Amino acid sequence: MTEGEFEPEAPVTGQGRMDVAWGANTGDENDVELAQAQTAQGGQIFEQHYTPWTGTLNPRWMRNWAILRHHLLGIFKKGHRPWTMPTRIFILIAFLASLSDAGMTLLSGVVGSSEFHSLFGVSRDNLYGHNLGFFPRNVLYYPIIAALLVGSVISEDREHGTSALYFSRPISRFDYVGMKYLSVALIQAMVILGSYVLYFLAEVVAFGRGWAWMVDVFPMFLAGFVAGLLLIITYTSLGLSLSSVSTGRFFPGIGLLAIVFGTKTLASIVKNLFEREILYLISPYDCVAHVGQALIGTQTTYDQYSWTYSLLSLVAMNALALYVLASRVASMEVTRE
Amino acid sequence: MPDLTQQGPAAEVALPTSTPTVPVVYFQGVSKSYGRIHALSNITLGLSGGVTGILGMNGAGKSTLFKLLMGKLRPSAGEVKLFGLNPWKNPAPYAKVGFVPEHEKMHDWMTALDFVATFARLHGMTRQEAETEAMRVLNFVGLADVANKPIGRFSKGMRQRTKIAHALVNDPELIILDEPLQGCDPLARTTIMNVIRELGKMGRTVLVSSHILNEIERITEQIVILHHGKLVALGNLHAIRERLDQIPHTIRIVGEDARAMAKDILDHPAVFGLRFPNDHELLIQTFHFGQLHAELPGLIVNNNHKVSVIDNPDDDLESLLNYLAGGSA
Amino acid sequence: MKAHNDLPSLWSGIDRKAMAVAEFTLRQQRKRLATWVVLLVGVAAMGVLTMFYIDAMTREYEAVDNDGDSSDWDQDGYPNGQERLYGTDTLDPTSHPGLIDPSILPDDPSVWINEDDFDWDALAEGSVGFDDNGDCNIENRTDSQKDANGNGIPCDIVLRQNVYSGTFYVSSDGNVDEDPDDEAYALEAIHRSFVLAIGKLGVVFLIGIFVPLFMATGLIRQEMTSGTMHFMLAKPIARGEVFLYRMLGFLAIAWSYLTVVIFALALMTGLAGPGDGFFRFGDLGVWLSVWWASLLAVMVYGMLFCMLGVLWKHGMVLALPFAAWELGMILTTLGAPDAAILRFSVIGWAMNIVDAGATLAWPDTALLIQMGNWGGGFGPLEGAEALSIFASTPGLDLGALATIVVSSVVLVLQAFACWVLGSTLFKSKEIE
Repeated sequence: MTEGEFEPEAPVTGQGRMDVAWGANTGDENDVELAQAQTAQGGQIFEQHYTPWTGTLNPRWMRNWAILRHHLLGIFKKGHRPWTMPTRIFILIAFLASLSDAGMTLLSGVVGSSEFHSLFGVSRDNLYGHNLGFFPRNVLYYPIIAALLVGSVISEDREHGTSALYFSRPISRFDYVGMKYLSVALIQAMVILGSYVLYFLAEVVAFGRGWAWMVDVFPMFLAGFVAGLLLIITYTSLGLSLSSVSTGRFFPGIGLLAIVFGTKTLASIVKNLFEREILYLISPYDCVAHVGQALIGTQTTYDQYSWTYSLLSLVAMNALALYVLASRVASMEVTRE
Repeated sequence: MPDLTQQGPAAEVALPTSTPTVPVVYFQGVSKSYGRIHALSNITLGLSGGVTGILGMNGAGKSTLFKLLMGKLRPSAGEVKLFGLNPWKNPAPYAKVGFVPEHEKMHDWMTALDFVATFARLHGMTRQEAETEAMRVLNFVGLADVANKPIGRFSKGMRQRTKIAHALVNDPELIILDEPLQGCDPLARTTIMNVIRELGKMGRTVLVSSHILNEIERITEQIVILHHGKLVALGNLHAIRERLDQIPHTIRIVGEDARAMAKDILDHPAVFGLRFPNDHELLIQTFHFGQLHAELPGLIVNNNHKVSVIDNPDDDLESLLNYLAGGSA
Repeated sequence: MKAHNDLPSLWSGIDRKAMAVAEFTLRQQRKRLATWVVLLVGVAAMGVLTMFYIDAMTREYEAVDNDGDSSDWDQDGYPNGQERLYGTDTLDPTSHPGLIDPSILPDDPSVWINEDDFDWDALAEGSVGFDDNGDCNIENRTDSQKDANGNGIPCDIVLRQNVYSGTFYVSSDGNVDEDPDDEAYALEAIHRSFVLAIGKLGVVFLIGIFVPLFMATGLIRQEMTSGTMHFMLAKPIARGEVFLYRMLGFLAIAWSYLTVVIFALALMTGLAGPGDGFFRFGDLGVWLSVWWASLLAVMVYGMLFCMLGVLWKHGMVLALPFAAWELGMILTTLGAPDAAILRFSVIGWAMNIVDAGATLAWPDTALLIQMGNWGGGFGPLEGAEALSIFASTPGLDLGALATIVVSSVVLVLQAFACWVLGSTLFKSKEIE
């Protein structure tokens, strides 16, 4: 648009009116153009005042807490990080399903059958099984939760370019990835360890367990807790490293499941065929299970090598995954890919 | 039949492209809503031949109109016809259509030639035919020298032209371009506008959408204005402009004593009407806005009136569109 | 006349479109790093398994004296087997064959290890095993002892069928095939179980499900979300065709990949496997059925996952639990191949094809398992357990060929149903 058309003596014609309406360079600037056109007639000059922000920056932990809170609350309500509805529904279903043993314990307290209790109540094997049992917990619930979560964290930021929202603020990349890691791990912990604690409480409530029992069982409980933590850390590290090397929602989720189920299947083929358990060392689930069995003191299903090998392998897996994650995020370009 | 009577003469058409009884594009009472949002309401429109610009702001319904035409959306009500056929679930009419979507994402891994040739083969061409045709259209849009470079390395203007080439490869009778000039530099704009004008001269029906009047103005005189999903004007650009000249203009003056001011201004020959919303405000209506506007400051100063604001409350988009849509200004 | 002219052009038009879309899909996948990573990881996984297999094939298997007749309880120099043959007392050092005939010198104990191997190579009518070392038909045994299974033939083995379960069991006359060749058995059994394990779990399941999960779920959905689908859908091509031809492009990759992997596995196991010839041509039937089953499985999974992707933006949420379901189903096929629940899976039908193919190529597998578990009457031999895990009879109560035909038809129908459903959903989808 030309300046002259809006001088006071120039007639405002249909041409001028249409220019005001659609003459802008982009549609978003309509209002601005209109304002300029009108003020030009009135002979005013815009004065812009920039006020520099003089507040003090909140401490780093507070900013990080804001990110974490944003991610965690997104599971429960709108207005925070939008986890997709199916993810939230699946987390709820998995949480309820993993409470099945707590329910059964309560039921056995009501029925009063000791056989029933030995099947489902708190015991060394059942505490282990709650966190690390293979079927159905580590087939249908926990790995799929991890897969759904990691699919929509870093890779989606890469796809949509939304990482710019973080990186254009006073937040370091380490904080960004650290908070993403923590939030994914905490959401899993809410399901796995939350239901684990509820399971323990169900036993206390259903059978009126006293302090003596609790002190007795507590080391076992703690060992199971640590084993569950290991599982969460391992799934999260693997998942997020996959998420950082890919874009989109599909690849990291399927990749995590392929690693967990694929190595497990390979290892069990080799075990059944050749009586060799060595391949369990590349299976994340089996390594965690082996370490967990050793920690909690239940019968180990892997007896060809010591559990320390599994622990070493776990450390190596996590270290590799975290290295990939760290180096990828450090060199991540803030753009849509 | 939709009302084909337009305001002013239509753009000149060199060749008749289809039988006059079947308009190329035909909307009859078409509405499209997403839940409670009405993207288009009751559009009735028929177009054949020449270049037509679809003008509207973001969210006015331009893309929705095109997507209905391309069978990507199903109309909530009404009837869409493309060459007399319903395009929903029926790809047959697309043999005569070229469509340039607004999406920026393209198959970056392909070369321009591959891209155009691959989609040409979907028109049933053999590999050789497709490559010959692809080179022809790439030449037409001025990309022949970079035909073998991957699209990922193209600038935005080149990408737009590649998209146009892909749409032209089947020598279509109807070409639909959704925001083809968006994000292009002036040079690319000129090239693309030339291409579109050329197509119009070749007698094709071309639909171009934009939210910028100047762009449309440089391409065609036949425009359709959409606003909030409603068709507010259809016809020759100049005719529409002339109609807009007919609207009485309003000048709003805020001062100390509006009635005293009115006495002095009423005598002016250009004044058509006066209103007082309150004691301090005066609304003047005129058909000779320029003249009045030029003389108004003198009138006020000579009579020693104290005035704080003079403005034109009606010269905003809403009242303009309301007027075009048939409401009062 | 016009119709006559139109017909070929219609077909060639469809053909050209199909080729264009399939070629486009193929090249698109080829440009993706993820494709190569997935395919290479698949090859690496199969490679690791094959390394374990080659290690097992080249290992020395200790020859076990299953019936213990190589030992010499009375320390007279004559192994127990030799003493039993001549009817002397195995516990009395003063009673040994040398006393009967001084020309009989004590045997080296190793002669009495693996001295009476299995005789059967295939299912046979009547006797399937005979006494090789003559320790059954010795004079101090009564006729009824020599014909313990009561079939009228002394010193042989017959197979009897359990009336209720239908399984075969070994009925021996005693001291027949009582000390089989452990190494020969272990190699054969491990070889067969490896072929079945890698064929079923490795190729048909792992590759068959993960390659489509990675590559087919986004075939339509990714294009829809990124907006590039607009280019294709603005052309005169039906959406059902787009679905089908995209799938063709995917299958071109998946099928050729499976063919190469299976060919390499067949070549390697054929060369490294036990046997007299330089190559085990007898296994090719099994590999052929693995190949066929994997082609069909990958097609059904591809169609299914692509359909789930069209159905819902979050189709992966449906695909992942389905993959877990299939994992459960394949574990079921190993233990209970005739479970009715397998009818509601894809992998169950694919496994039927492999099992039927294995029954045709190796009709004696069930017998081999029986023999191994029986082990001459002295417990299971090495490899028998693995073979009994991975070999199973086809689940349908039909002949092997009929099973293959029926299962193939079911799989093709499943794929067809997914295609019809997928293209119907796709057709009525509004695309933003």
